[in-house]
Amino acid sequence: MTARDGQYDRRRGLRRFVQLEGVAKQALDTGHVRLIAVAAGFALCFLVIAGRLIGLTALAPRDDGANLPAEARQVHSARAEILDRQGVLLAGNVRAVSLFANPRKVMDAARAASQLAAVLPGLEQENVLRALSSDRGFVWVKRQLSPRQQDAVNRLGIPGLGFADEERRVYPLGRLAAHVVGFTGVDREGLTGIEKGRDDDLSAGRTTTLSIDVRVQHALRAELLASVEEFQAIGAAAIVMDVHSGEIVAMVSLPDFDPDAKDEVPADNLFNRATLGVYEMGSTFKAFNTAAALEFGLAGLTDTYDASKPLRVARFTINDDHAKNRWLTVAEIFQYSSNIGSARMALDLGPDRQRAFLKSLGLLDRPQIEIPEVSAPMVPSPWREISTMTVAYGHGIAVSPLQMATAYSIVVNGGLAVTPTLIARRPDEQNPSPRILSERTSQSMRELLSLVVEDGTGKQAKAKGYLVGGKTGTAEKAGAGGYRRNALLSSFVAAFPIDDPRYVVFVALDEPKGIKRTFNFATAGWTAAPAVSRVVSRIAPLLGVAPAPGPAAVPSDSLLVSVSKDR
Amino acid sequence: MALVDDRRNDMTFFQKVRNTNWFLIILIFLTAGFGIAMLYSVAGGKMDPWASRQAVRFAVGASLMLFVAFVDIRVWLRMAYPLYALGLVLLLIVEAMGEVGMGAQRWLDLGFFNLQPSEIMKIALVLALARYFHGLTAEDVQRFRWLVVPLLMVAAPAGLVLVEPDLGTAILLIMGAGALFFAAGVLWWKFALVFIGVLGSIPFVWERLHLYQRERVLTLFNPERDPLGAGYQIMQSKIALGSGGLWGKGYLLGTQSHLNFLPEKHSDFIFTTLGEEFGLVGGMILLGLYTAILMYGFAVAFRARSQFGRLLATGVTSTFFLYIFINIAMVMGIIPVVGVPLPLISWGGSAMVSILIGFGLVLSVYIHRDIPIPRRPGLDPT
Repeated sequence: MTARDGQYDRRRGLRRFVQLEGVAKQALDTGHVRLIAVAAGFALCFLVIAGRLIGLTALAPRDDGANLPAEARQVHSARAEILDRQGVLLAGNVRAVSLFANPRKVMDAARAASQLAAVLPGLEQENVLRALSSDRGFVWVKRQLSPRQQDAVNRLGIPGLGFADEERRVYPLGRLAAHVVGFTGVDREGLTGIEKGRDDDLSAGRTTTLSIDVRVQHALRAELLASVEEFQAIGAAAIVMDVHSGEIVAMVSLPDFDPDAKDEVPADNLFNRATLGVYEMGSTFKAFNTAAALEFGLAGLTDTYDASKPLRVARFTINDDHAKNRWLTVAEIFQYSSNIGSARMALDLGPDRQRAFLKSLGLLDRPQIEIPEVSAPMVPSPWREISTMTVAYGHGIAVSPLQMATAYSIVVNGGLAVTPTLIARRPDEQNPSPRILSERTSQSMRELLSLVVEDGTGKQAKAKGYLVGGKTGTAEKAGAGGYRRNALLSSFVAAFPIDDPRYVVFVALDEPKGIKRTFNFATAGWTAAPAVSRVVSRIAPLLGVAPAPGPAAVPSDSLLVSVSKDR
Repeated sequence: MALVDDRRNDMTFFQKVRNTNWFLIILIFLTAGFGIAMLYSVAGGKMDPWASRQAVRFAVGASLMLFVAFVDIRVWLRMAYPLYALGLVLLLIVEAMGEVGMGAQRWLDLGFFNLQPSEIMKIALVLALARYFHGLTAEDVQRFRWLVVPLLMVAAPAGLVLVEPDLGTAILLIMGAGALFFAAGVLWWKFALVFIGVLGSIPFVWERLHLYQRERVLTLFNPERDPLGAGYQIMQSKIALGSGGLWGKGYLLGTQSHLNFLPEKHSDFIFTTLGEEFGLVGGMILLGLYTAILMYGFAVAFRARSQFGRLLATGVTSTFFLYIFINIAMVMGIIPVVGVPLPLISWGGSAMVSILIGFGLVLSVYIHRDIPIPRRPGLDPT
């Protein structure tokens, strides 16, 4: 570029600039008008966007609780808690969410159903598909999801599903008192146990405090489990009852179940053997026979009956398991559990007085208790002479463990009526109980029960430091075509401390098998009695029962012996 | 000498700093901060994988913006055509050998980062058109023969981008250029003519559209038509926005967008997340920030003494507006789903950097607003 070119250029540029001064100004004005037009157009577009944003957010129907269908909202009411007598929580509530769907908004029902079935156990794909394919606006998919399940469902990203807050019933102690507490259905309506029996109170928000003491319950269940394990029993039942108030401090039925996972449990585990099961109890019934004989003044403890040979009645023969083959006193009949002697005593008693006596102990009627799982006993009908004899030693009549515990309580508590209950009684609740049998008979029965443990069939029920009295009962279970020799119900009913009883302990093992240690015996003395011994040792301190002074002397005795040896 | 003339108007660095529109820069930082916070939320309250990298990109982009701003506006005038030529060549290269991502050929893998030539072209086209119209007189602009060249300047890149295929960018290029044509003074009736022409060509364009693009247009009018496929995204987006309500569900608490209900929640559909978590109020705050930025952009254009500066600011601001409008209108189901990110908010480096460079140019126009630039005809190299 030469200088001239540059000058020319500059001149030309200058000239253009000067020439176009007016035109440029006009262009500038045009430019400004156009600029304003563009900006105005953009502003209009922004108004459209803002309007749409308002329409989509603020004016859109909100997806919160207020818009939930009625079915999803009415599940909020609070159900009261169930506590043990110390205030320990047995049944409570936690927040849970339930999954529902609006099938009209679910786009691919088949895919949604398979995805949901994959993340939610216990959900049938076909059922979900049917629900999601319906033309309703609301269906429950699954109730009471865990937070983990809720998260899993959220992560599927299926439109048309929603969650409703509700409360879920939980049982923090799980199996511990499962049969007593029972459980609720999906709408938290009581289905079994206290949940059912006290449904009105619980759903009205009234807390229920049970007579159960979880510490005793735990000890009882642990020992019972150990026995079931040891003797390979198919089940077991046990009750600890306050002999004066009738309060059930512990009640266990095995096998049991986890109420939080009840859907996966076999029906048999839901069966409450302690109240719904009725069994021929066998020799433990002899306590009632003996008590009746004493109460009606038919015999004293030292009167004797012929037990020298089997007793033939019509086509039946009554034998003794621990036969002494001689005349036995009333005390001996009880101590050695003589069927022959008991039958002879019952013949003296007669059917009418026997029935009346058993009825007064509550053994012939369906017991009243706060749970619905209660069976009526099976009683002889008609009640013949042979029935009278077999009932004397606990055959031909089937009652529940609950009835046994109640009847034994009456027998040992001084003879006053007992109403069993699972609800804690107030300390000031003192109902004058009608007398069933005399103080004197009750006292005699305590001595007899003590004798059985001290030197009879129930020796293994001795508990170190505590005075235990009780009675064994080994019954062959009835099967098709007669009694099954190898299917036993081995039970032991104990009272402690036997000098002034406060608690009755009933333990029954269903079909225990003999083991080496018991010389293949599966009878009550070898199976149920040791279990009672362990239970008493564990629960007596919990229940505030002071150890007896007697057995404490034993170590000093041995000390004396060793001292004399040294001499 | 021409150079002597120019040097007379040179500014010192201090003058430039004093002249800078710092408020616009603050607005841009605020908006980008909002975006990084949203990416943090979308990742479930984590800096990875999006928020941290987006922050780094913004830092790089903001540095470039300031650099561009301080470069003399006359340098950019001189660079306009070379940059445009470079953009066009890169577009041709990407057409020949680019990386295929998401079913479209848009990237050039340069090893350390992926270059998207269409992003360069968004800036280069505005520069080149501003440069071209700067040289025309008001009378020239009214004559059709002077419009042939700029129309070709738009058609070439738009056509190349369209075959990638990237409908979103093509629309941005064409409509951004349209705004620039309009601001340059092209007669009203010519736009009407183009509008009629577009309407008339719809049947032919329809034939040429990809199947997925046709689906998007059809589902726009009735999202329930294909709720599982093309309509799913838009339905979920509306559900999420609706669930946000007035105040939103709260930061980090959006469920539709955090869970897998919403695809592209971190990129093109991030406005949905914002709406769900911050509700109407949050959406309006963002629109307010954008409006403020756009007003500054137009103010810069208004204040510029040179035609080049005015058109440059108008073009960049218009492109920025189109980003916002197309994205938000798409997310709310007003227009079909086209792949346009939400500027300064959406995940994505190329768009972020090109937008910041664009604002660098706007700032440069503002800083050098009083420097007169002699008009020179059309394609004459300076």
